[in-house]
Amino acid sequence: MRLQPPTRLGLGLALGLLIAAPTAASAQDAAAFFKQNCTSCHTIGGGRLTGPDLKDVTKSRDRAWLTDFVLAPQAALDRGDPYALQLQQEARGVVMPQVAGINRDLVSALLDLIEAESALPKSQFAGVQVSDRPFTAADVQLGTELFRGQRRLGGGGPSCVSCHTVRGTGGLGGGQLGPDLTKVYERLQWRKALATWLNAPPTATMQTVFAKTPIAETEVLPLVAYFEAAARNGGEDDRAGLIQFVLLGLGAAALGLGVMDSAWKTRFRSVRRALVERRRGARS
Amino acid sequence: MNVRSQIAMVFHLDKCIGCHTCSIACKNIWTDRKGTEYMWWNNVETKPGTGYPTAWEDQEKYNGGWEVVDGKLRLRSQSKTKSVLNIFHHPNQPTIDDYYHPWTYDYQNLFNAPEGPDQPIARPISMITGQPVSIEAGPNWDDDLGGSPVYAENDPNLKGLSEEQRQQLSAVERLVFFYFPRICNHCLNPSCVAACPSGALYKRGEDGIVLVDQTRCRAWRACIAACPYKKVYFNWSTGKSEKCVLCYPRLESGQAPACFHSCVGRIRYLGVLLYDADRIEEVASMPAEELVEAQRSLVLDPNDPEVIAAARANGVHDSVIEAAQRSPVYKFVKIWKIALPPHIEYRTLPMLFYVPPMSPVMSNRGDHTVDSATDDLFSDIESARIPMKFLGNLFGAGHDGKVRYALRKQKAVRWYRRALTVGDVDMATVDRMLREADTTAEEAEAIYQLTSLCTFDERFVIPPMHREEALQMLDDPMEHKQAAGFGFIAAPKRGV
Repeated sequence: MRLQPPTRLGLGLALGLLIAAPTAASAQDAAAFFKQNCTSCHTIGGGRLTGPDLKDVTKSRDRAWLTDFVLAPQAALDRGDPYALQLQQEARGVVMPQVAGINRDLVSALLDLIEAESALPKSQFAGVQVSDRPFTAADVQLGTELFRGQRRLGGGGPSCVSCHTVRGTGGLGGGQLGPDLTKVYERLQWRKALATWLNAPPTATMQTVFAKTPIAETEVLPLVAYFEAAARNGGEDDRAGLIQFVLLGLGAAALGLGVMDSAWKTRFRSVRRALVERRRGARS
Repeated sequence: MNVRSQIAMVFHLDKCIGCHTCSIACKNIWTDRKGTEYMWWNNVETKPGTGYPTAWEDQEKYNGGWEVVDGKLRLRSQSKTKSVLNIFHHPNQPTIDDYYHPWTYDYQNLFNAPEGPDQPIARPISMITGQPVSIEAGPNWDDDLGGSPVYAENDPNLKGLSEEQRQQLSAVERLVFFYFPRICNHCLNPSCVAACPSGALYKRGEDGIVLVDQTRCRAWRACIAACPYKKVYFNWSTGKSEKCVLCYPRLESGQAPACFHSCVGRIRYLGVLLYDADRIEEVASMPAEELVEAQRSLVLDPNDPEVIAAARANGVHDSVIEAAQRSPVYKFVKIWKIALPPHIEYRTLPMLFYVPPMSPVMSNRGDHTVDSATDDLFSDIESARIPMKFLGNLFGAGHDGKVRYALRKQKAVRWYRRALTVGDVDMATVDRMLREADTTAEEAEAIYQLTSLCTFDERFVIPPMHREEALQMLDDPMEHKQAAGFGFIAAPKRGV
């Protein structure tokens, strides 16, 4: 098929726009991207969360290495890059995920952004400031209620238990849709990281649910306190709980069948076989 | 008065020899297809016995037919609410085991079996799954009292019989049974039609034959649960319900239905009845003891000028009215009153009537002599081996008055003929007997003629069906005139 000149021109323009689009990443876009994809693990001048503090990172490592690492973190590990391995160790084995939609130009814009933010006395990405005060029993109690939905979240979001469980929730346990959060306090590395996560959940599922109904800052601390307590008391793998769950299910099923059997007591049953068996019973 | 015509039937049980020829004739014509192997639109049962499907008369289990609640007729099997609640599973369905698992034999094995130390055998094979089955029951498993302790002793009609009567029924020297052939009753108040959620079942306007529209049937199977006679069956292959069609293609061409035609004992009669359709609901909701008489009152006199005029006004053809006047069924049911509906207490108003059977007398006396000298000429009817109560349960909604009347009349006819042909009974006794049995010599002669010497045309008075007129009510026969040649519904046209 031969294209007419105007169509060809239009196609060319569209292709050009497609190629040009990422290169046009402005500082604003980079800031939005950073906020959305990086802040759950990194701060700029706020101390380390799951990942290291990025303040002045462009001064300690050269841009070429940083760009390669951000583009493909796993590849750097596979290569045996010593600094990447060190980072992995510092992050307790957590490897930086390959960010969706990342490309060389965007990395460049991000590094520009980090450089610019590092120069400021207080970056907008210094992270959430969580109080350092020790958790009290009241915090844990409030956190428990929030987690289990006994007390509604102020923002109107769904309570954690509808998708997550923590060992010791009792009965049928919590939801099975999201991961078990018993050890989340250790997994995400302590108070600050967990608080940051809760403040702006980064995963696709959590983002969809909590984007419009964020968890209030006053609720974050009690929840962190609850997760801390859960990680401390949760113990090891919960096999007994699984067995309990299965037994409970079997029991409920048997009960349900029993109720149905009595509700439909007069239902039609085999007539002929019953006659034959009654006779057999009478003879023996 | 809303006069309609109905093809009705009489089965004379005193003549039935239980040969199952009717069943085979029907089977060969209608139910030898895939999915119908287990169906017997016509079957012959032994009474006492549980029949087919097992204990179909026990509506406590099967929940068929109608009941009267607060003076209104109601289906036992479902209500509007229940039919929605049970939409995916109707709880009152008989299982295949209650009919029987149809089987054939692996005859090929007799020829193809590898050589071995044993004789090859033909194993029974399921006609549904094709897998080997163990035969546990058949459609007439209780034939001639076979398996009595399981089947005959559980006959629902034994209800109300004393323990002594029950034991006598199964005592070896006094065993008694009779045959009970059954087809669809083509009822006036059919519960199968009422139950169908799709409106697939209908009662044909011109002759009252109850049919299942195979294109509208949606396999809800509500009809199967609702029919108290269990004469609607589910074809598992086509997913549609099927039932006796009273061989309407044969009737339309003037032939008797196959089971009627083939009947060896000539027990079957077929003819037209005119009835008043406006009174069906009123009659069907009457108290049980009045039902037999009330149903008779529905049947109208085809010689009454008023009835004829009303029938004509309703579009009943003159030839049908004429057939109704010659109907043998009208004589048995309305004039002689010796044919009775089966289980009228199901309130479907069956249009198949039975002449109750005579049975041997209880002649078991202590001193080995039989004493038949008694003043009561009809004492042997009361002391017949089949208890009157049993027949009353079957043909009189639990009341035996109508059955007794029919049996006394039959006995009077026998004695009348005996006086004429053998001559060992004096005519005075016969006259007294005829009087006591509410009959006359003329009537006795007529009953004798239609019972014993009936010709084919006397037994089957089939009216011209006038399908062409019935069709015109639904379709325009001229619709395709000039539109197509022979054999085309869509007109052929030029081009591709």
